[in-house]
Amino acid sequence: MAAKDSPLKQFEVIPYSKTEVANYDISFTNSSLSMVITVAVITLFLTLTVNPRSLVPTRMQLISELMYNFIAQLLSDTVGDNAKKYFPFVFSLFMFVLIGNMVGMIPYQFTFTSHIVVTFALASVVFIGVTILGFVNHGIKFFTFFYIPGVPFYMHPLLIPIEVISYLSRPISLSVRLFANMLAGHTLIKVFASFVVAMPFFTGALPLVFIVALTGLEILIAFLQAYVFAILTCLYINDAYHLH
Amino acid sequence: MPQLEQTEFFVSQLFWLVVTFSFLFIFLWRISLPRIGNVLEKRERKISEDLTAAKELQIEAEKIQETIENQLKQARTDSSDMIKSSTLSFQEKAQAELNKLDNELDIKIEKSAQAIEKNKNDSVSQIQTQINEITRLTLSKVASFDISDDEIKKAVNSIERSIN
Repeated sequence: MAAKDSPLKQFEVIPYSKTEVANYDISFTNSSLSMVITVAVITLFLTLTVNPRSLVPTRMQLISELMYNFIAQLLSDTVGDNAKKYFPFVFSLFMFVLIGNMVGMIPYQFTFTSHIVVTFALASVVFIGVTILGFVNHGIKFFTFFYIPGVPFYMHPLLIPIEVISYLSRPISLSVRLFANMLAGHTLIKVFASFVVAMPFFTGALPLVFIVALTGLEILIAFLQAYVFAILTCLYINDAYHLH
Repeated sequence: MPQLEQTEFFVSQLFWLVVTFSFLFIFLWRISLPRIGNVLEKRERKISEDLTAAKELQIEAEKIQETIENQLKQARTDSSDMIKSSTLSFQEKAQAELNKLDNELDIKIEKSAQAIEKNKNDSVSQIQTQINEITRLTLSKVASFDISDDEIKKAVNSIERSIN
């Protein structure tokens, strides 16, 4: 367990109530609350700002449309013609990670994307889905994905295992990237915050300035990681269609 | 690190992740995204419709412009033709008028000349008679000759001839 003033204390899951179903603990926790807030923010924003009859969008509607076009463009750029089918999923994924990260930026709010179990679950959904997609599209020929054409034959015993490992490590890299970024950023802010308290007199203002700067950086990273998560998902979907 | 230590909450986190993300996915897929998509599509359609309409109107305007130019050109040639033809006809009329006047004047001159000639002839014949009368009177007063008119006439004529 983290110590009382540890910078990692902010990542502790705190249950609000004890709920068990079939011996499984599904208590509503601060993590669950963050997820619910995230989903509420996304759904309410995308619903309330968009007036289906308006020809000229309001500023808020423009943000929704911007998000829509951003992901639509991203998908069509990477996946191409087959992109439309996966748009709702990639858009949901992007918004969930983005708003999850942003909600985590609010002081005292739990950041569920800083938990490896959550990010790994999301990455696994992508990984398993993309692998199934690859087998559906190519059948057994999907295994040629690990065979790199145009390489001397004696290199294959070396390259094929590397390809397999890199493919299997996709969910790990995808989940750890998001988890580690969130963890590091929030920890860093907390460390500087402890400096503010620890330093004598007004010298505490110096780390405070750092916190302000880091908060800006964290907001950038929050967006960037959501973008990376979405674009990698797009690339994996593309790989499932075009093996090489 | 709570992420790895609090294993007792893994199931809870996964459960709530599935619940919230499924809800989000289905809500966005079924409600939000079609709505935004429709709005964008509608706007796109409206813009392209307006653009097509604008293009059509432009073509129409160009056609109208062309007609106007043609009409102006036609009007210009027409008016210049009219000016030319009217100038010509005026010239002809003037010429005709002048010719008529000339003819009338010629006739008048002719008549006047004839009248003058006649007057001259009359005067000459009158002078001749008077000369004859004066000759006879003079002769009768001076020499009491009684000469017939015919003889006088002959004599005068012979003198006249010799003068001429």
